[in-house]
Amino acid sequence: MIMKKLLQIIPILLVVVGAMMLFEQPAYAYADPGTGLLAIQAVGSAFVATGWYLRRKILAFFRKESTAPRQLNDYTPREESESSTLS
Amino acid sequence: MSSQVDTPQRRSQEIIKTDPLKFTFRDPSGQLLLTESHALRRIAPVAIEETQAFLSSPLRESLERSGDLIPTEIAKSRGFGAMNPGELWLQHPRIDPISYPWEWTTGQWQAAAELTLRLADKAIDAGWTLKDATPLNIVFAGPRPALVDVLSFERRDPNSSVWLAYGQFVRTFLLPLIAESFLRWPLWATLNSRDGYEPADLYKALRPWQRLKPSLLDVVTLATLFERKNAQQQKATPANQPGASRTDPDLAAHILHRRIARLGKQVRSAARTQSRSAWSEYTQSASHYSALDRDGKRQFMRSVMDRCRPERVLDIGANTGTFSLLAAECGADVVALDSDTAAIEALWRNAAHQGHPITALVANIARPTPAVGWRNREQLSLLDRLTGKFDLVLMLAVIHHLILREQLPLGHIGDLCASLTSRWLVVEWVPPSDPMYQEWLRGRDDLYGKLSENDLRQSFAAHFHVEDRMVLGNNRVLLLLERNLQGGRDQGRCNPETEPE
Repeated sequence: MIMKKLLQIIPILLVVVGAMMLFEQPAYAYADPGTGLLAIQAVGSAFVATGWYLRRKILAFFRKESTAPRQLNDYTPREESESSTLS
Repeated sequence: MSSQVDTPQRRSQEIIKTDPLKFTFRDPSGQLLLTESHALRRIAPVAIEETQAFLSSPLRESLERSGDLIPTEIAKSRGFGAMNPGELWLQHPRIDPISYPWEWTTGQWQAAAELTLRLADKAIDAGWTLKDATPLNIVFAGPRPALVDVLSFERRDPNSSVWLAYGQFVRTFLLPLIAESFLRWPLWATLNSRDGYEPADLYKALRPWQRLKPSLLDVVTLATLFERKNAQQQKATPANQPGASRTDPDLAAHILHRRIARLGKQVRSAARTQSRSAWSEYTQSASHYSALDRDGKRQFMRSVMDRCRPERVLDIGANTGTFSLLAAECGADVVALDSDTAAIEALWRNAAHQGHPITALVANIARPTPAVGWRNREQLSLLDRLTGKFDLVLMLAVIHHLILREQLPLGHIGDLCASLTSRWLVVEWVPPSDPMYQEWLRGRDDLYGKLSENDLRQSFAAHFHVEDRMVLGNNRVLLLLERNLQGGRDQGRCNPETEPE
């Protein structure tokens, strides 16, 4: 289960990191942004973004796990009420 | 005779017409002009809408209230003879005299850097960003730094995680601190580099193992390597096409906050405590001062403050600021300068801690900070900033340094003092018999070994007469001098009761 989740996350991360490396190039600046220091921002952004997405996915994963039984309980009466309405 | 009212604004217009270099000229968004009482800022038409939006924002209000941003008012059109319709002019209170970054201590540098980061961080959530981040936009009002450039703020693209001023912050704030900490490059050397240091400058000078330190790895080593790679790529291919940056707004803000937090850590890590210097412990360890003499000197200075009630005091050779603090406690605005960085660091920290209006700067009155910048007109020399601004100047135990170490004639020292003070001067005369005098005499007895208090008084007589005098137990002499009335001289005006024996 966890492996499956991780396999889902990895492509997202690769896209995020790749996108940041490729596209974080500002067109207009007043102060000289510097080439090396601009690249450092892209790399730093990629690292922070990776952590950000990972944290969100992990939190979402555990939330799902912990809320799963409640959702199951909630589901039945709603289903019943909807079906009763429809009927 | 002109019937127009003579206002600072009108005078500024006359200046602008005759001398365009009085205006700043680098920022396309606006230009700044210093008058005697205000800093006036003309906003370029292209930046008017953005500036007005910032001025009416809660962010500006909160920053002004906290004292982190200089107060701004819309300048009234009345009095602006040459003001064109539709122009926006702002006015700020004048902070005078200002100190430049190359006259700051490590602690002041750190405080200015942390202020800039704090402003950048607060701006993120308010939808703004700092478009530039340089120490030249920070001014110390007393011991406290404040941002003086309201045009530094611009609206932030919520989908961008790039801080455009990051590179400038690193070059102008962080790398000088790192260079001082790891390479012993003094902060005053930044006088020669308007845009700070490039990562490659430090990379070349650092030892290989230093380049791998975690706090230096990104801003020095990786930045240099990326620059090299970029330079090679640009040789082979045309310039990179700028692309659009589309990051989730929450993620973009998160990245920016994290980036600023990391810079803060790097600044604190680099701003290591300066090593103790001989002079910074001078007031505590001075063996040529007994407790009695120290009390006597303090008592004399207290009586001077009571009598002169100065509003603006210049303390030359202030050391750790014992008498700067005394003057500030008596209600004066004080400018304290000393060539010893550690002493000024201690003075500044004391003033900041106690909330006294003391502007502390590292400077040598015998080799004053020169005017720098384009055509030597962008930053004023030290003497241009100090001349005629004070009603009391203190030169306590400084003159023997100027004589023995700088080989300056007494008459020239008197001329300088007269240019600095509009009325009062306190001088501590250190006689040739004093151990400190002997230490610097170094076999030049014929030249300097016979100088006396009378030589000092005669040399200063063209400008000053003696109003009070005290001889301490260690034979040092404290003199309160007053400027002569125009055209007068002090001979015969000295108080007979205070004549030297």
